[in-house]
Amino acid sequence: MTRVRRRALARLIGATLVARIVAASAPANAQAAPPGGHEDAAFDFMNLLSHHGMHDIREESWNAYGQFTYISSWKLPFSAPYTNANGSINSLVPDAERSFTGTFTLFFGVRLWRGAEAYVVPEAIEERPLSQLRGIGGAIQNFELQKTGSETPQIYRSRTFLRQTIGFGGDRVEKTSDPMQLATVVGSRRLVLTAGNFTVLDVFDRNSITWDPRQTFLNMAFMTHASWDFPSDARGYSWGGTAEMYWDDWALRVGRITPPQEPNQLPQDFRIWEFYGDQVELEHDHVLLGQAGAARLLGYRNRVDTGRFADAIAALEANPAENAAACTAFNYTSGNATAPDLCYVRKPNVKVGIGINLEQHVTRDIGVFFRAMYSDGQSEVDAFNPADRDLSFGAVAKGPAWRRPFDVTGIGYATSWISRIHAQYLAMGGVDGFIGDGYLRQAPEDVFDVFYSVNLLRAIWLSADYQYLRNPGFNADRGPVNVFGARVHAEF
Amino acid sequence: MPSSRKELLGLALAIAGTWATRASAQQQAQGFAVERFYPSAPGGGWMVMDDLGMRGGLGGAVAVSSGYAHDPLRVTDGAQHLNVVADQASFAVALAVTYDRLRLYFDMDSPIVGKGDSGAVGGYRFTAPSFDISTRPDNIVDWRIGFDARLLGGPKGPFRLGVGAQLYVPSGDRGDVTNGAYQSDYLTDGTYREMLRVLAAGSVGRFDYAGNVGFHVRPLDDSRTPGSPQGSELLFGVAGGPRFPVDATGETVVIVGPEIYGESALKSLFGKTSTGVEGLLTGRVEGTGDDGRQTQVKLGVGGGLHPYFGAPEWRFVLAITLCSGAP
Repeated sequence: MTRVRRRALARLIGATLVARIVAASAPANAQAAPPGGHEDAAFDFMNLLSHHGMHDIREESWNAYGQFTYISSWKLPFSAPYTNANGSINSLVPDAERSFTGTFTLFFGVRLWRGAEAYVVPEAIEERPLSQLRGIGGAIQNFELQKTGSETPQIYRSRTFLRQTIGFGGDRVEKTSDPMQLATVVGSRRLVLTAGNFTVLDVFDRNSITWDPRQTFLNMAFMTHASWDFPSDARGYSWGGTAEMYWDDWALRVGRITPPQEPNQLPQDFRIWEFYGDQVELEHDHVLLGQAGAARLLGYRNRVDTGRFADAIAALEANPAENAAACTAFNYTSGNATAPDLCYVRKPNVKVGIGINLEQHVTRDIGVFFRAMYSDGQSEVDAFNPADRDLSFGAVAKGPAWRRPFDVTGIGYATSWISRIHAQYLAMGGVDGFIGDGYLRQAPEDVFDVFYSVNLLRAIWLSADYQYLRNPGFNADRGPVNVFGARVHAEF
Repeated sequence: MPSSRKELLGLALAIAGTWATRASAQQQAQGFAVERFYPSAPGGGWMVMDDLGMRGGLGGAVAVSSGYAHDPLRVTDGAQHLNVVADQASFAVALAVTYDRLRLYFDMDSPIVGKGDSGAVGGYRFTAPSFDISTRPDNIVDWRIGFDARLLGGPKGPFRLGVGAQLYVPSGDRGDVTNGAYQSDYLTDGTYREMLRVLAAGSVGRFDYAGNVGFHVRPLDDSRTPGSPQGSELLFGVAGGPRFPVDATGETVVIVGPEIYGESALKSLFGKTSTGVEGLLTGRVEGTGDDGRQTQVKLGVGGGLHPYFGAPEWRFVLAITLCSGAP
């Protein structure tokens, strides 16, 4: 057993122990709800209408929210004995760089009939990633960069979906007025069907501690599992349907979603019976020592048109002409004439993974979280990150304790790593959608992230963030990298 | 037959040379927003015309619509014809907020299909759009933000007069060059556009009517390119039809009637190739109550009465509107 595999096994055993401890805690008839939901004291459009008696914010027939977020990241120079070796193209550039994203989003929701809601969410983005979004595996320094864009603002429709809730009784559960959630009262036993254009993250792998990356950690590793290759287009959105069955403190979610036509590209493949991503998640909510928490088990199975690392290596070994520089089919434009390439071997492949997601409030305003996932690691990234396994944990605190009720601070650690065959492919000079330095000395990619957000006027947050990134691109030869970040976030 | 072969080869080379000369002389036609169907605001009554029925306190409306246009961009130089945009379909979501006699609204149009034929006409090379929703899964065409105000008359009176303004925010560029080839979806001018309109409407007995005349500030002027915008335009339209109650209370009605509307470039007002006129037979079922939620379903079928300048050969549009309060 290699050192990396032993370390991976130890991490998963640790994760399992934590899961068992939490699962053994007293169950509760409470459904985890984002603590960062709608605040009565927040200054926003719906509260404004409500306070003037022009809107029923407890039982809504419509709502409208908006947000603006600008994130700037400064990467300091770092050491790297080689960059883009042998014509490979996916290294993080060792020079100092600045990256930014700006997003503007409007959230509209309307109740159509009993239990039915429709949502439309247009969004605009402008961005400049570090090194053209190359060279970092599961710990990209700004989560917004999962959405492709350019330095010229681009407007697109991020979500258009219908949601139907069918009640089966149970206790009263109050749904607050929030973006993509109309305020109402539902039963704790209900079926929720969602269909249309949305992101899988709207339904699966939610975590009320890291509830909104625009409010918490900047690094993408804390947004969801780094190794969950959830089906989506190049902006993180997709089409499909989900069903969520809530039964008191249990929830079961299933969904089938469209993947991209080509890995990591915008066009979607609507042949949903042939190419798809299936997700299933089981959630249990609990109260431990008087504080709410939740445990989730998530599994996925993608059937998508991708290349397997072993097949690409075998193709090169059988015929050296099938190298990365010679490929004319869809590829990532590597010029490495001695490296294998996935473009020769793309065909319908299955990718699977399983992960856990734990959250626990320590006090009303402090919570801890833990995530871990293991994907098979045999085929290339299709939609999200090249990581094959991941683990992350941390804590987030809100500011009532220091009389800054809308301030938020957090500290977290995340690590992700790749499979042995994936590492062999990269070591031979291969590239995937985001990484490939031309050579590889395999190591987990780690990130430590700490932030503080200062609230102004109950609607604007100014954040400072620091990230320490080790082994970018799962390569022990490169880094570490220091990244400083600043964020302006407004909700209205 | 060696001499014949030489003659044939010479002829072929001459034709190829002529073709190459002509091809090199052709200019690439640039894309633009070919759609000239400008729907009324959510809760606005007719498909294109506005009934100026805003009333009551704070209210809102949301509308979902979808439409298809056949041959909306057919260019000709008199001898040759080319359906540059032969099939165009989209769906739109629109939202409105009303208060008393005022309405603020915005809508976004998402293209579903854009296809046509590429070729050369009148010395210009046209590259047809070629996309569907799978290749453009999240596209939004130019955003429209609008404001309407009723200045004269009551919401159900025999004569209502108002004004409206609309701003189109460009969603991107007219086209781009990919792998050396020009490509356009014919969805945007790539510039801000504004519309200012005077609106009129009324209800006389069981007959409803509406009309408008306005000015479209359109910076794009490609007058030399067949079928392309020629700068700012005059807008006009009229609609009318009877209203039939369909329930005992009379609060649900069906209104059926024609809508005729169009535009003409100011620099060549009512010229043959600078004017488009379209007719649509529209029918709608709507609630007319003053309280609670009202639903409106609209269907329009028609086509180009003067099928130039963006008026399609035929089109259909379906729209469903939910009004909360009393728009």
